Amino acid sequence: MDDTSSESDNSSTEEDPEIPEKAQAPVLSVQSVPPPAPSSPKPAPVVRAGNGPHYELRHTLHGHTDSISAVKFSPDGVLLASTSNDTIVKIWSPATGELIRNLAGHTKGNSDISWSSDSTYLASASDDHTIRIWDVDSGLSTRVLKGHSDSVFCVNYNTSSTLIVSGCLDGDIKLWSAAKGKCMKTLNAHLDYVTAVHFNRDASLIVSCSLDGLIQHVQFSPNSKYILSTSHDNSIRLWDYQTWKCLKTYTGHTNNKYSICACFSVTGGKWIVSGSEDNKVYLWDLQTRNIVQVLEGHEDVVLSVATHPFQNMIASASCKPDLGIRLWVDRGPPASSAGPAPPAPSAPSAASG
Amino acid sequence: MNTSALDPFSNTSYPTAVLTSLPSGASFVRYDPSGRYIAGGRPDGLAIIWDLDTKAAVRYLEGHVKAVTSIDWSRNSRFVLTTSKDWNIIIWDLTSDTDPPRRFTTIRFDAPVLSASFHPRNMQIVLVLLTIGEVYLVDLRREHRGRVELVESEDEEAYKQRSALTVARFDPSGKHIFVGTSHGSVLVFNTRTKLLVARYKISGAGVMRGLGFAKFGRRLITNSSDRILRQFNLPSQYPSQLEEDDQELEPTYRFSDPINKVAWHNMSYSPGGEWLAGGSADPATHKIYIWDISSDGQFAIALDGGREPLLDVSLMSLRNYKWHPKAPAIASTTISGNILLWHCPTPERWGAFAGGFEELDENVEYEEHEDEFDIEDEKELAARKEREEDVEVDVLGVDDVPDALEEALRREAKDDDVVWAESEPDEDRKGWKMKIVMVDDDMQ
Repeated sequence: MDDTSSESDNSSTEEDPEIPEKAQAPVLSVQSVPPPAPSSPKPAPVVRAGNGPHYELRHTLHGHTDSISAVKFSPDGVLLASTSNDTIVKIWSPATGELIRNLAGHTKGNSDISWSSDSTYLASASDDHTIRIWDVDSGLSTRVLKGHSDSVFCVNYNTSSTLIVSGCLDGDIKLWSAAKGKCMKTLNAHLDYVTAVHFNRDASLIVSCSLDGLIQHVQFSPNSKYILSTSHDNSIRLWDYQTWKCLKTYTGHTNNKYSICACFSVTGGKWIVSGSEDNKVYLWDLQTRNIVQVLEGHEDVVLSVATHPFQNMIASASCKPDLGIRLWVDRGPPASSAGPAPPAPSAPSAASG
Repeated sequence: MNTSALDPFSNTSYPTAVLTSLPSGASFVRYDPSGRYIAGGRPDGLAIIWDLDTKAAVRYLEGHVKAVTSIDWSRNSRFVLTTSKDWNIIIWDLTSDTDPPRRFTTIRFDAPVLSASFHPRNMQIVLVLLTIGEVYLVDLRREHRGRVELVESEDEEAYKQRSALTVARFDPSGKHIFVGTSHGSVLVFNTRTKLLVARYKISGAGVMRGLGFAKFGRRLITNSSDRILRQFNLPSQYPSQLEEDDQELEPTYRFSDPINKVAWHNMSYSPGGEWLAGGSADPATHKIYIWDISSDGQFAIALDGGREPLLDVSLMSLRNYKWHPKAPAIASTTISGNILLWHCPTPERWGAFAGGFEELDENVEYEEHEDEFDIEDEKELAARKEREEDVEVDVLGVDDVPDALEEALRREAKDDDVVWAESEPDEDRKGWKMKIVMVDDDMQ
């Protein structure tokens, strides 16, 4: 029961986020000018209501030998995949914390992975300019997608898993046919590193973000009505992409150097989960924007987090020299916390999209 | 789902440009009801299913030894029916992991099969037309198993004199079966009782070639050997038995090419019934004629698909046509086996790349807004932003898209016909997934 809530006070006072209001003029990125972040001088206090999250460390998975760039749960919830700068993709069991398989084949470090919706294939994006599609059961790479002329930074399947979209360091986005492994289309949309690409639910839209807009990561909400972006001004924003409006801003963590991803947690309460450069994992309440829990334990920058599709489970992964993947589980509030226990918030209500 | 992102005025327009062509060898194609797949039949007996996201063949239905004559999709796209001149009807189950997929069943007749279709409520009821001019209703359900021939009258003399049946279709509700004859009449049978309930004589039509429906069966279009497409309004109710003999049916519209007098291979309504597409049987050109029904059946445009003559034209017949991002779409096949996929080109909106950006045709004087350069208190700005962000945001809820066909089927009164059709429901559930089969490099 490490109640670490009050210790976040020292985290975000060190610098006032310098708002790059009109500093850059990105023409092609979706999120052009970030609105002024609510520049609260003092850090947002952790509000712990009775129905907040109560994540505890369950497993620490060691095995990678270089900074871990991505962790992803399989859509059926049975497996966890992670990849790292050490070129290896590792498949773990989130239930037991055991290493199940190593997928080796890339010749340079990997930046991103994505599961097909039937949980049988995994696509990995690598600095060796290729994307590999792995048959996770056999551990063999069934396809190598060649065509990018620089390191591939991000990759994603569409919901029906017929398409793969990938983003490259040279600003190109490529659309691939998953079954044939052929490039169908190249979009020259960005001028700098493409840091994330994501399909909406019916694959009618792709969202992409790039360093030309100082955006680190972007994804659609489970219902594809909104997008969640992380940027180098220490804030995460939720946007309505049809009205151009920034609906929510989540602050309190540190992010001005690395490409850190945020994600939605919808299995219990509705949280936004993100890693941070102060070695912690932050959870915000989606609606109130208050920090509701801070997970401590990592010994270096937490680059990647993932949420389980239907259990209250978070995976977080850290850089060198920590190199651990931590699995956090919410079993509801500790029994001793209060007399009249609030209703258990951990009942999985809806699977994420 | 992206209803709000679509231009509300662009939906009723028709396709104008060829998006791509698939070399396939198929003589005709049919869209599935979800708009994700297209299935084509070839003269050599092979049927192929393409995924429209990737425009790649995803399943090869190998089973027939002679030309495939028709294809039908079940309402949730899980089952595909192919008919062939080799006397067989095969129903394929696309949930199986293998390619070719597992067969649900094979139905065998003693004559070449011209066409077959699934009952709209239950894919275990199949309507079959044979090349010898006979129509059968095949029931695969345990309780009702059997095949019944649909005949005009039980009388033996009349049976010998009967005219050949040339086309057979379920109406969109599945309650009635419409059958065209070689003598220019349309017979209406009740699906449950198999009794003739109406007989329409269409004067001057000749041999009936095709039937189509719109507006949930209230509108009928016929294609016949006199090279005229006729549109009729149909009554909403039919008696349970034939009451008056040989009703005349007056067409509301007649569509034809008055100059070239071309015949029509086939025709199809747009999913909402706003326009009609006809595939011209001109042996030298590839032309699809489009008439705008919503503005008095006016001729709108003739799509020109190049030099390869047209064989067949098919429209995306969507359950959810009102919101589909790719609707409307047309697929046509050429005599040399190419499939042309037609679409509405979307104009690129570069203004969408930047908020508040407007594209101008000429220079305009800029007028600043009242408060444009006001200096506001930063604290107040932040506070206002803080207040604005208190709005509840729903990241999970998906707008329920009305499923037009399902809605119409559900609204229908639960009479005997519906209860009969829905007893022993089929396995055609929503939400099934087709497994991705990796294609080997050497197969391409």
